[in-house]
Amino acid sequence: MSPELTRSLTISASGMNAQTTRLRVIAENLANQDTTGTSPGADPYRRKTITFANQVDAAGRTDTVTVKEIGQDKGDLPLRYDPSNPAANAQGYVKLPNVNSFTEMMDMREAQRSYNANLAVMQATRGMLNRTIELLK
Amino acid sequence: MERTQIGIFDLARRRMAWAEQRQAVLAKNIANANTPKFQPADVPDFARTLSRTSMAEPLRTQPNHMGGTDPGGARIAAGRPRTHSPDGNAVVLDQQLMKVADTETTQALTTSIYKKYMGLFSIALGRAG
Repeated sequence: MSPELTRSLTISASGMNAQTTRLRVIAENLANQDTTGTSPGADPYRRKTITFANQVDAAGRTDTVTVKEIGQDKGDLPLRYDPSNPAANAQGYVKLPNVNSFTEMMDMREAQRSYNANLAVMQATRGMLNRTIELLK
Repeated sequence: MERTQIGIFDLARRRMAWAEQRQAVLAKNIANANTPKFQPADVPDFARTLSRTSMAEPLRTQPNHMGGTDPGGARIAAGRPRTHSPDGNAVVLDQQLMKVADTETTQALTTSIYKKYMGLFSIALGRAG
């Protein structure tokens, strides 16, 4: 098999893998958008962020994409007045997660778009491989 | 006449190698569409690749490029500055996908030509197909 086309397939697969991890992080954020702490004044769930990096594999030939870091969004936590909540502080305020569902939705769309693009490249590469193999027939 | 025929096979082979290289470069660009500070690359067009006798020499367009020994052929960064997203990534997905489609068509054309010529040889040798 052609090494270049096999490389293309590896690279596209790594891209799809990275986007899948991104979708997982988005899913975690959306699922936890109402997760508050349990003890008084405790911090709630903090939005997770994801960063990608370009990585050269051990053989030094293929640049794949990897997840560089899954971090935490240090943004301000919104407060809500809810004295009966177990997580309420002395003043009766509960810290809420800094997850914005619109941001997450946008992020999800982008992840989907990038995933599709990688898939399209993979399909094109596969077509090229098939045509090359057909030369032998 | 014989030389021309063989010349066409050689040309087809190089064209296919070029298409495969380009596909790998484009796959990398698209996979890194969300990697911060990533700059897309492309291979030089086929006419330029053809005019050089050796394909193993990477082109240095910036002083901080390393003189590589990559036998995969020359790679140049995008010449003109493109639109940047806030994270410094300059990949435009639709442009890259257009290039992928273009590369695929090129490769399909080349393999068809190769096949047709092989067919001509078969006819000349008196075999069917």
